[in-house]
Amino acid sequence: MKPIRIALTKGRLEESTVQLFEKIGYNCEQLRNKGRKLILEVPDANLEVVLAKAADVITYVEHGVCDLGVVGKDTILEYGGSFFEVADLGFGKCRFALAVKKGTDFYAGYKVKTIATKYPGVARQFFADKGMDVEIIKIEGSVELAPLLGLSDGIVDIVETGTTLKENGLEVTENIISLSARLIVNSASLKLRKKELEAVISKIEAAI
Amino acid sequence: MLKNKLIAPEGTRDILFEDCTARRKVENKIKNLFVSRGFSEVITPGIEFYDVFSSDAHGIPQEKMYKLVDSKGRLLALKPDLTMPIARLAATRLRDQVRPLRLFYSQNIYTITPALTGRSDEIPQIGVEIIGAGGKRTDLEVLVLALEALQSCNLDDFRLEIGHIGFFNTLIGKLNLDEEQTEEIRTLIQNKNYPALNDMLDRMEDKKTAASLKKLPALFGGEEVLDEAAEALDCPEVASYLEALRSLYQSLSELGLGERVSLDLGIVNRTDYYTGIVFKGYIEGLGTTALQGGRYDTLLSDYGKEEPAIGFSINVDAVAKVLLPALPKNPVPDVLVFAEEGFEVKALLEIRKLASHGFCAEFSTFENFDESRRYAIKRGIPTVYVVNDDLVEVRLS
Repeated sequence: MKPIRIALTKGRLEESTVQLFEKIGYNCEQLRNKGRKLILEVPDANLEVVLAKAADVITYVEHGVCDLGVVGKDTILEYGGSFFEVADLGFGKCRFALAVKKGTDFYAGYKVKTIATKYPGVARQFFADKGMDVEIIKIEGSVELAPLLGLSDGIVDIVETGTTLKENGLEVTENIISLSARLIVNSASLKLRKKELEAVISKIEAAI
Repeated sequence: MLKNKLIAPEGTRDILFEDCTARRKVENKIKNLFVSRGFSEVITPGIEFYDVFSSDAHGIPQEKMYKLVDSKGRLLALKPDLTMPIARLAATRLRDQVRPLRLFYSQNIYTITPALTGRSDEIPQIGVEIIGAGGKRTDLEVLVLALEALQSCNLDDFRLEIGHIGFFNTLIGKLNLDEEQTEEIRTLIQNKNYPALNDMLDRMEDKKTAASLKKLPALFGGEEVLDEAAEALDCPEVASYLEALRSLYQSLSELGLGERVSLDLGIVNRTDYYTGIVFKGYIEGLGTTALQGGRYDTLLSDYGKEEPAIGFSINVDAVAKVLLPALPKNPVPDVLVFAEEGFEVKALLEIRKLASHGFCAEFSTFENFDESRRYAIKRGIPTVYVVNDDLVEVRLS
């Protein structure tokens, strides 16, 4: 039988996902010692694991080359897409927030504000909901630098503990939305392989 | 700019050889089926007035449409949908024709998809519309047609999933929500986003209805779903929809199509457009929906004629993509016919004869035999005919 393929987000969410799999009782030997292999097997479970960057997890699941995916809500909000988002895995908890230089009032004045962010889609939506025109600049690396260098009035970014912000003299002015890791499913797969996929999904849900 | 002339615009591509064969094969098989059931083809223009697609009730988001301006400054759209132009046609030129109208189409639609996602902006669709007929019988006919259309393409495994828009619309109507909240709940059900849906519905006052809505996205599977739904959905108004689905499912089973059919009461796409049964087709090996359809009894009134209608469309490329690996590679001709100076007409007559016997013969444009032979070897053509006073067959090993 064709194995079920699951795409996992590399990095921040990887360790927690592997722990979750171990809790289910999956043999995670290959996942622990992955070397350079890109497609890993979970023996005895008819499961193949692909490790990918967050946005790629969505792409793979959307196109149906992976049946399931584990990805952060931040990526889902930024990239969107059509798939089923069936479970909140409870780990990788953080939030999107608007942060500015400590002591400044972001909303003061009538000048168009500039926002630096790695998540232009999320930032645009947030300010569109407020009916506010802002200029958005996409930054690839440490977004915190932008207001410090005077490039932007504020940033929209993921905040976990707030330590990085504090150390750089920034503070959260507004929380946008809470985030965590999600289990997503390709919509055609769920329909064509309902039994097999539901079995895996319920195992994962039971282990959360 | 200089380089743009060498490439196809994003979201489009050149379709070559086997891809064309696969596409035409799908189109022909399905077309023949439609014709055999009394459907007539219509071709609507590739460009339409933007207004055709921009009605308040059923419009298509403007950011998804390719737009142009005509010579009078009016806005046009490359058509993003085939049903709306046909509704326009049915309400105007075909206004006084006998009902029901059984129409089919096979044309491209154009839609703007997000860049770099591997999705196509130009999608060939084939489908039917029955206009001027409501009720169970028509629903059944169209479902059978949809199943048979997929079946006619010799697919390994496919599934038609049936739902009814009434479940969502009835339940959500009881909650008296504004448009924004309704849309939010609809999206959560569509994405089967159980955690967020539960959070959202826990805030509702009508606990009974909220509990039923929570269960909606999980109600999918085989016939057993109908019994589960009867218990799970605490709402007498939806009993008639369950009954309708049960009766359709039974008829389809009697036709031997039961194992191809499943149910999903959580199908809630375009809830403002569909008014009755809705369905989607999935094919093994394809991550997206290959077929979409449903009943849309209010669309025609946008164009000034109120009458029921139902239809579906199939993404021809999606089906062709699944069939492609099993198709033979682009065939090479059986024979290359080379005419010596002065024997061109004789050679062409010979080609006509070969073709009438079912062979594929190509006329050599080269001036001499050696070049013809070299060309045949490169193309992998197994035989060269040399036409002079005589006719010599040269087999190339």
